Amino acid sequence: MRLLPIAPLLVLILALLAGCATVTKVETGEQAVGARLVVSLEGPWNRIDAPGMGPAQVWTMEGLPVDQLLVYPGIKNGELVHASTGGSAKTFAFRSSMQPHEIVAMFEGMMTRDGSQFKLARLEPASFGGGKGFRFEYSVTRRSDSALLSGVAYGVVSEGELYAMLYHAPRLTFFPRHRGRVEQMARSAQLRAADAAALKASSGGGKRDCMRNPVTGMWTGC
Amino acid sequence: MRRSLVAMTLVAGIAFAPAFARAQSMNLAPGFSNLPKDATVVLMPADIELFSLSAGGVPEPKADWTEAAARHFRQALLAHNQKLGLRTVEVSEDAADELAEVNTLHAAVAQAIAVHHFGPLKLPTKEGKLDWSLSDAVAPVKKATGARYALFSWVRDSYASAERKAAMIALAVLGVGVAGGQQVAYASLVDLETGRVVWFNRMARAGGDLREAQPAAETVGSLLYGFPVAK
Amino acid sequence: MPARFARPAPETDEGGLWAIMDREERRLRRSPFALRDAKLRAYVQEIACKLAGEHCPDVRVHLVRAPLFNASMAPNGMMQVWTGLMLRVDNEAQLAAVLGHEIGHFLQRHTLERLRDAKARSAFGQFIGLFGVVGALAQVGALAGMFAFGQEHEREADTIGTTLMRNAGYDPNEAWKVWANLVLEIRARPGGESASPLFATHPPAAERQEALIALARDAAGGATNEAAWGEHVAPYRHEWLTEEVKRGVPEESLALLTRLKERSPKVAAYAWARGEVYRLRAGEDDLDRALEDYRAALAAGGEPPEAHRGIGLVHRTRRQAAEAKASFARYLEAAPQAPDFAMIKSYLEELSL
Repeated sequence: MRLLPIAPLLVLILALLAGCATVTKVETGEQAVGARLVVSLEGPWNRIDAPGMGPAQVWTMEGLPVDQLLVYPGIKNGELVHASTGGSAKTFAFRSSMQPHEIVAMFEGMMTRDGSQFKLARLEPASFGGGKGFRFEYSVTRRSDSALLSGVAYGVVSEGELYAMLYHAPRLTFFPRHRGRVEQMARSAQLRAADAAALKASSGGGKRDCMRNPVTGMWTGC
Repeated sequence: MRRSLVAMTLVAGIAFAPAFARAQSMNLAPGFSNLPKDATVVLMPADIELFSLSAGGVPEPKADWTEAAARHFRQALLAHNQKLGLRTVEVSEDAADELAEVNTLHAAVAQAIAVHHFGPLKLPTKEGKLDWSLSDAVAPVKKATGARYALFSWVRDSYASAERKAAMIALAVLGVGVAGGQQVAYASLVDLETGRVVWFNRMARAGGDLREAQPAAETVGSLLYGFPVAK
Repeated sequence: MPARFARPAPETDEGGLWAIMDREERRLRRSPFALRDAKLRAYVQEIACKLAGEHCPDVRVHLVRAPLFNASMAPNGMMQVWTGLMLRVDNEAQLAAVLGHEIGHFLQRHTLERLRDAKARSAFGQFIGLFGVVGALAQVGALAGMFAFGQEHEREADTIGTTLMRNAGYDPNEAWKVWANLVLEIRARPGGESASPLFATHPPAAERQEALIALARDAAGGATNEAAWGEHVAPYRHEWLTEEVKRGVPEESLALLTRLKERSPKVAAYAWARGEVYRLRAGEDDLDRALEDYRAALAAGGEPPEAHRGIGLVHRTRRQAAEAKASFARYLEAAPQAPDFAMIKSYLEELSL
């Protein structure tokens, strides 16, 4: 029989039983995620670590069964955006050539492997990490318990790698409660240079050169 | 599948500390000590599932046992609340249909409490407190029932049997390392004015039997041990 | 026709089964996966009622959002019809063929027998799962083989179904087409026909098709009500086609959409949907095929705005700026409320630089 794709929660529980899952406090202030992504937090979060959870960092405020913030710190071309499950279940890998539509479709595929339903509410260009990225809003009907979730996400492809943040929580109470902090975190996100040679000549290697004017809709400094 | 994960976590939680050795404050939200004397409590429809364990330790849902268990559990709950002097109301089936989303929401929160408050995966931002609130998502419950508090309950109960093994993909993990039957359950009391979970208890043990009236009453007694009623 | 079933006493094993089914039905009623459109539900309920005759009061139809071909009926009268089925049948008569078949199982208490048998085989819980809001669609395929009705039961249900169709005024000659169409889809699957989730509990055999043709021979004539059917499902067609495309099984979708497109060339949505499948698969020559299909949708008229977007995206991929801009502009004009309006607008602006 085909195995169902293993949800992060199940992996977590297995790790828990094996004694190797941990929770770490992510403190207020500047936080680096991976080699290049840096976000600025106005308040603490909780980070869950367990072997086999997949390439994203998993953060939460209320606990994994309620809300999940997936932070992708540079997914390379060809890399899966979820834990590898073996078996014949469909997999979703990032390709550097992907356009925002395709990246959204990739995440949608990832989130609907278990029969959950996904509906895109909004997709728009947005500055993320100081680059020309995108932002999307979505809703999910979770198959396992029929929970109705709302989600918001930001992403950008920089030097062929994908940096993204996806946050989803029940549309009642919890998404409204925490979305503001997620948006703030996304707006604060910066990408450090991959190497010294890539540092811009301007003041201290400022990363905010590439910006989209929300009024005119024009990109400048990219 | 999600329900079985809670079961496993409750079991795992018990591996770290026995059920009744916890300090009372673990079960209570900060600032809450007990229900007022004449509080009205609405009994939300209990989420109960009974399983039989085959020789290989793999659980199989027993829908007919579950039917009986739901009946006994409800009776025992009503009797228990009456003994405590609480005013109890129940939700009609039609009203329950309307409240499905709130029920689902609470179930997710209860899982989070089981995994992250009573289990070893504590969330530092919660600072060790029972600090979860559904806020005004519970307003429809208050409106439909007129109650001040809502009592939610969830039970997963397995019984060893000599039946042939039946493969259940999602629930296969429940059988890992478990000898004999296990009864895992939680009860959750929510303040319908604020949406706060004010009292929560969970239980995991070998033994207990919901298929008969008398042992079902005992199960309810254990689950509601320390229920915060005013003396 | 047997007399209406009285509710069995709760202590009997049948009574227990009804109670279990009642519980599943309650869950289904409360589930966000249920399709609650009153008008569509009433329409399907009416068809089921016509077929069920004096059992009509005992049949309760539930529509479920799931992109697979499935319909089922539980011993307590709960009937499920999945949206994947409604996308695939061409008219009322074909739906009636499937529902009549299910009612046949119900009248002959086949499901009850299967339940008892499943109980004896310690596989009860899983079988119940097939009547619930299915836990995972992948499981449906895996479990279907275990719980398929035997050939004898299938034959009985087909015979009864045909009779019910005829009595309700439908053309029984539509029945075999339903299965023939499904087989087309199954055969398109890379790797072959084994364990396709499409068939849920009723894997069809070639003999069944022949038997259905034979049964229909003695009962020529009857209505198909294709126009009424089209009218009722039209508002949902776009949504169901989108879900089909999202399944990510291009070979099967192409088989289905090709059939639908060739049957109804005037329905732009079918051409558009097939275009989407080609564009997303993006194999050799697929982008050309996608353009062809999108243009066919435009020619048919009443095309979904996404057809323009599709053309724009293909041209954009090929760096054909002028064509891309023109199509994106048409999309924005046709769909000012589209979720990706801002994104497509920015593509357009980029192309203007």
